[in-house]
Amino acid sequence: MTKTAEHTELREEVSLDRPWVTLVWDDPVNLMSYVAYVFRSYFGVTPKQAERLMLQVHNIGRAVVATGNRESMERHVEAMHGYGLWATLAMADE
Amino acid sequence: MSVRQRFTPQRDGLLLGRFEPIEAYLLRLATTQLLEMLDFGTTDPHLAASDGVFGRLLPDAYRDDDEAAAEFRRFTATGLLERKAQNAQIVLDSLGASEPDTATLDSEDRQPVMVMVSVDPDAVQAWLRSLTDLRLTLADRLQISSDGVVHLATEDTPFLRELYEWLGMLQEELVYAIDV
Repeated sequence: MTKTAEHTELREEVSLDRPWVTLVWDDPVNLMSYVAYVFRSYFGVTPKQAERLMLQVHNIGRAVVATGNRESMERHVEAMHGYGLWATLAMADE
Repeated sequence: MSVRQRFTPQRDGLLLGRFEPIEAYLLRLATTQLLEMLDFGTTDPHLAASDGVFGRLLPDAYRDDDEAAAEFRRFTATGLLERKAQNAQIVLDSLGASEPDTATLDSEDRQPVMVMVSVDPDAVQAWLRSLTDLRLTLADRLQISSDGVVHLATEDTPFLRELYEWLGMLQEELVYAIDV
């Protein structure tokens, strides 16, 4: 599995608009291994980062997996729904 | 990992999966039902939106803004359902093209004839997503609450539960097989 370079920009996405975030929520169905895999393969984060985000979802109930403008967050949420993950978007610092 | 690993990466990039005939049969059956349900949802998104399982397959993208959530759904639901249906179809195609592994027929350890399934990298992505959709659908049927407890109490419960657990195992085996 190669990492997709096009997604690595997402944590540094800069926008003049008020930033939005993509959140992934804990659910009783999805496996921890699968969730970590999705974070790695879609967002291109390192295995360690993916593990940390996955554990945050598991332990705290949710994690911010991306920050940026609203349009790109909607794109990420749609992609997460494609993977079967429970994702939402919201304005940052809500 | 058991001696007889389910998925074996091939040199040409394909993943070779081995299934007992009953496993292949059940996966085909469950995926066929998923596909029918998704097709139904695609043809009538409004009706589909009222069904609980579609609420989990296509969750609200905005938690506190019903209007924005409805707008998001209007723009994404059809495409998402179509892609989910395509994924299910890819799983069925992989299984449909599968042949019993005749090499195991004469083996002295008397293994049952295994169904061999060849999956390319794109199809693996479809499998991963479709297995998730199957589990989400079964979790809805089983009335699994957020703490993971099964609330369905009918004669179907043990079978559905076993299928649900097995699909999870299968998905994990797939993740480990490609994630080297």
